[in-house]
Amino acid sequence: MYGSASTHDLPTTAVTGLENEDPILLAEFEARIARGEKIEPGDWMPALYRKQLTRMIEQHAHSEIIGSLPEGTWITRAPGFRRKMAQMAKVQDEVGHAQLLYSAAETLGKTREQMLTDLINGKSKYSNVFNYPTPTWADSNVISWLIDAGAIVNQLANAKGSYGPYCRALDRICAEEAFHLKYGHDAVVHMATGTPIQREMMQAALNRWWPAIMTFFGPSDKMSVHTEILMRWKVKMASNDECRNQFLDMYVPKIWEIGLTLPDANLRKNEETGQWEFTEPDWEDFKRVINGDGPCNAERIAVRRAAEENGAWVRRALLTPKTQYVRPLA
Amino acid sequence: MIQSHDPRMNRLGLPDAPAPAVAKEALDQFGTYEVFHQKKEGAPFVYVGPVHAPEADVAFLFAKEQFSRRFACTGLWVVPTAAITLTDYVGDTESAYDTLPLLAKSSAAPAPDSRYTDDTAGEEAAYAAGEEDYDIFHLKKRGKAHQHVGKVRASSPADALQVAKAVFGEQRPVVNVWAARSADILRSDDEDRDIWTTTPEKKYRDAISYKVQDRIEKFKAENQ
Repeated sequence: MYGSASTHDLPTTAVTGLENEDPILLAEFEARIARGEKIEPGDWMPALYRKQLTRMIEQHAHSEIIGSLPEGTWITRAPGFRRKMAQMAKVQDEVGHAQLLYSAAETLGKTREQMLTDLINGKSKYSNVFNYPTPTWADSNVISWLIDAGAIVNQLANAKGSYGPYCRALDRICAEEAFHLKYGHDAVVHMATGTPIQREMMQAALNRWWPAIMTFFGPSDKMSVHTEILMRWKVKMASNDECRNQFLDMYVPKIWEIGLTLPDANLRKNEETGQWEFTEPDWEDFKRVINGDGPCNAERIAVRRAAEENGAWVRRALLTPKTQYVRPLA
Repeated sequence: MIQSHDPRMNRLGLPDAPAPAVAKEALDQFGTYEVFHQKKEGAPFVYVGPVHAPEADVAFLFAKEQFSRRFACTGLWVVPTAAITLTDYVGDTESAYDTLPLLAKSSAAPAPDSRYTDDTAGEEAAYAAGEEDYDIFHLKKRGKAHQHVGKVRASSPADALQVAKAVFGEQRPVVNVWAARSADILRSDDEDRDIWTTTPEKKYRDAISYKVQDRIEKFKAENQ
């Protein structure tokens, strides 16, 4: 579970193309959403809804598949057989989530070939946190626990969104996440309450990952573009800042209770407002990394691309002449 | 060469320079199959999602991995997406059967129709005349999953929806109906049911096997 619901490249103009939509169909569409009914693939939908959802679900799928790489790094060296098995099961879950999500995005009209092409050519975005490396086992544990925790905050919100196929995929994904969260928490607690060296290693990993974690939910609401219409259409279910605040509320106390610290002297909860205060993340750096200049961008894309290319001959050999592509139904 | 923390990646010897853009060929990812699973014996088959696969057997393997890996499952069906005929979607309180074209009363239709009665001779004649079985699935609420409601015998997919309307049309709401020719569905065999008993041994992937709270309490007690 890796999705950060904020698509990283929302349209910069507030509303695009709505003036070209049929007002009667648009009113029916909005009325359906307002009365709590889901939208299904056969329904009429505004072009902006289709475009925005495709982008969001596709980025979520890419995040699952790319996100399995930094944890996959540690499968062969996870300490002990049981952890190897668990790490493998978790990585397999993430790849399975990508499959579910690509299919949900396909129901909107973009083929899986097009999505994978955009991924391996560096045209699509995925969650920016995976452009950072996992130099130690503890780094992998931080992803398993805290990145998954962040994704759960997002995905539980998005599972209440308006698009049927995405909701179905997320229900399934969320059900598998219970394991990831507990597994990750267990791994972090094990290190944090272990020997001084283990403890030090975990603290160092947390220090490395904290700035990226703080950007996980996307730019601050005060910086991000107009999302009111996406909220009304139940494409976006909670603002970036709401998600971030909820995450901090749930997990900072759990981090502190095992004696770990966080590398931000300004991090504290304002009990009057109920909001967490923190040092504003470096959004310029975030932009630089998401646009390709991070420590692992090239590796992530190259590895994914090599996998696609090395498996191509097998897929060609299996392809039968009568195969025809039909968009998945739901 | 790209230097990774993952020794497996280093063995690939990946070049540093960005590779030139490539586009995947059409059908690189094959066609799709829609998958239905059964949660426990006797329960109806419920839609779980599509898989991409070159043929039905492979679709079945992928579906088993994807949809029965983590959850209890006692049976699986896969059917090519193209083999499913569907109605329009309607609202959560309506019936999709109401969107089907109304049939003109035909004097040619045998009455009583053997499709709705226990008429073995009529049934055999109908199969001989080219009628086939179709499995029918209903979606009861938008955002939920299609569920198997039963079989009908019909001369075409469009006919199958009409027969389904006569047989199941009283049910409400029915947001959407799928009809699939029964012969197009690859089904798990009852004799192979031991393939489903794989999950209980894998405790390491159950949330419940991680007793993290005990360790936290012990740590807190020692450090106060």
